[in-house]
Amino acid sequence: MTLTTTPLGGIPVGWLAAPEAAAPERVLVALSGGVDSSVAAALLVEAGHEVVGVWMRLHSAADQRDGHRKSCCTLDAADDARRVADHLGIPFHIQNLEREFADAVLEPFVAAYQSGETPSPCVGCNTAVKFGALVGKGSALFGCDAVATGHYARRAVSDDGRSWRLRAAVDAEKDQTYFLHGLDSAAIARARFPLGGMTKPEVREVARSRGLVTAEKPESQEICFVPDGDYRSLLRDRGAARGEGEVVDESGAVVGTHAGSEGFTIGQRRGLPGSGVSARYVSSIDPLTNRITIAPRAALDVRSIPLVDAATPGGIIAEGARVQGLARIRHRGALAQGIVTGLGGGAATLALNDPLWAPSPGQTVVLYDGETLVAGARIARPSRSA
Amino acid sequence: MTPTRLFLDHAAGSPTLPEVVDLMADLHRSGIGNPNGGHTEARRARAILDDARASLAEDFSVEPRQITFTATASEALALGLHSALTPSLPFVTTAGEHRGARALAAQHAAEGGAVQLLGLDAHGVMQAHAIRVDHPGAVGLFSLASGEVGTIQPWATFVSAWRASGGGALVADAVQAAYHHDLNAQTTGAAHLVVGSAKVGGPFGIAALISAADTKVRPLIVGGGQERGRRGGTEAVVLAAGFAAAYRAHRRNSAETRRQLCALTDAFDVALGPLASLGLVPTGAPFTSDARLAGHRSYAADWALGDDLVAALDHAGIAASTGSACISGSREPSEALRAMGHSEGESRGGLRLTFGRTSTVAEARQAATVVRSVLERVRTAVPA
Repeated sequence: MTLTTTPLGGIPVGWLAAPEAAAPERVLVALSGGVDSSVAAALLVEAGHEVVGVWMRLHSAADQRDGHRKSCCTLDAADDARRVADHLGIPFHIQNLEREFADAVLEPFVAAYQSGETPSPCVGCNTAVKFGALVGKGSALFGCDAVATGHYARRAVSDDGRSWRLRAAVDAEKDQTYFLHGLDSAAIARARFPLGGMTKPEVREVARSRGLVTAEKPESQEICFVPDGDYRSLLRDRGAARGEGEVVDESGAVVGTHAGSEGFTIGQRRGLPGSGVSARYVSSIDPLTNRITIAPRAALDVRSIPLVDAATPGGIIAEGARVQGLARIRHRGALAQGIVTGLGGGAATLALNDPLWAPSPGQTVVLYDGETLVAGARIARPSRSA
Repeated sequence: MTPTRLFLDHAAGSPTLPEVVDLMADLHRSGIGNPNGGHTEARRARAILDDARASLAEDFSVEPRQITFTATASEALALGLHSALTPSLPFVTTAGEHRGARALAAQHAAEGGAVQLLGLDAHGVMQAHAIRVDHPGAVGLFSLASGEVGTIQPWATFVSAWRASGGGALVADAVQAAYHHDLNAQTTGAAHLVVGSAKVGGPFGIAALISAADTKVRPLIVGGGQERGRRGGTEAVVLAAGFAAAYRAHRRNSAETRRQLCALTDAFDVALGPLASLGLVPTGAPFTSDARLAGHRSYAADWALGDDLVAALDHAGIAASTGSACISGSREPSEALRAMGHSEGESRGGLRLTFGRTSTVAEARQAATVVRSVLERVRTAVPA
């Protein structure tokens, strides 16, 4: 496999590539029971660090055994994590972060669908749980100063050593900085990403050569708290499903019905009438009327995107402040030059030189300066008058 | 990691005594076969099993035929209950029972049977005066002593009240009590008494159901005719011998052991200092009371999860427990602590430290120093 290197360019002037924990330290590793975090732990142990393994119990789906399927958040995954820790000779603990996960991930997930948005649960989990609450517990319970994960990401530090940024992973196909954008400078300083310079095949090879039980485990793709992949049933259980509604075209004419607008996202094609040149895509979702609007593909090209929670690793983007860079509106999606301008209170606008297609409210926008991530935000719902 | 470990979780099972390990290794090497065979090696195995049963029978003042070996105490509880309970009979237990017992209650309820939960007072004592058996012959499952909070039940008084209220067969969980008391199975008044091996320094993987002389045992595992037809499957001969040897050693030294354990907890209490300054409240019977298991200390903190405290102590070299075995990492509050009137926060923050025969006073003092420093650090740092 040829390595897909990042199209983002090199490290910007004034920033240095941060080596992963040069001096031996006590590191907490979030073991998911998958191959990536297993290898992250193995590499830290081999580098001479004192490593404490932790598996996070995040939700009640964790009480299930997963049979043939493998998720990162079931008791089977906890067993795998424990076996890896035993193999590496490191302590292993299960940490309960259910409450933090419910606050930062589950509740916002349901609320997003209720307001017609498409949530990005991994972002909240990384920001508030893995590099938030877990860091606090690691420090309080085990005296760990740093938290490592199996994410594909790297770090950069300013040449005065005071500020930290995320840096895209070497393997552009695996780069996960998009989901980590919520980490501020202090969180990045305490984060360790031992896999940032590796490709997935290299990671698997390390796992095999060390005899880790997780070496051949398949990737988990689904949302961890929706183990059967049916998030609509979760929404129904939470009373957040809306039922049947109208599909309208750009003129407002009713062209069909749908089984629940919460099952759709901006840019979705599946389940809609038309094909070929006449194909139509979801262009907006109105949670109040439960109505989905569809439009031709070209109508979803956008040069201006409203944002909320817009921040750099140094903090909220202030009113009038501008951050320039290459923007990305979906994981591994296309890049376009743009400028984020702060409007106050975390609100901002992203102005793009070239259009990006189908920005979906609730999803994440990130901005890169070279290969460093300089800003991130959540796509806001366009105002009804817009 | 601290190089020397301090093992303070004897209530969950002590490390097997060295002399028991040696005995079992010798037996394994002695060339024994399946005890149910018709050859010399089989008879050798059968003799070892018979001796183990006879030794335990003597220690519990029963006949050998009253003892059924099982793999675990949970299995013995299930076997005793299966023998005593029918779907039409109410099942009475408490929120303070072992998880296995509570699961059996839930199973009975799921099958349409009636379940009554008996209350506990603030010290974890079963409220015998509150027994109202709705149906004569109700079956009760109760512990003689609580593993979680160390409370020894006033058993004789309780049994009198139980009988007076029309209660029927009793299944008694003596797993914790067996370590600390010279139990006489005849005088407990129970139809079935459950005892374990690992709590007395015997091997894990074996326990026993001791049934009253005239009481029938209805097998859960049928076939083979082993254990007088009460439990099918080849007997764990060497484990049974280890169980009996550990129990015999305990019986020989029980008074001395109790004195030693009390000296350990006395030293620990003094070295630990005032509990309030650590944000702890004691749980169960008062620490100075005779109604408390020797060597047993239990606390609750309303500012942390018990699992977190156990993890932090483990990292500092101490093996501790929350006292309530539940799914790892669960935030569920302890049902026993809730039943005793502890707040929800306290019921999530259970911590149990239990000493054993291998502990020393120096270790107890050292443990107190470590526990204090870990709790102080965690308390200042972790949000509950």
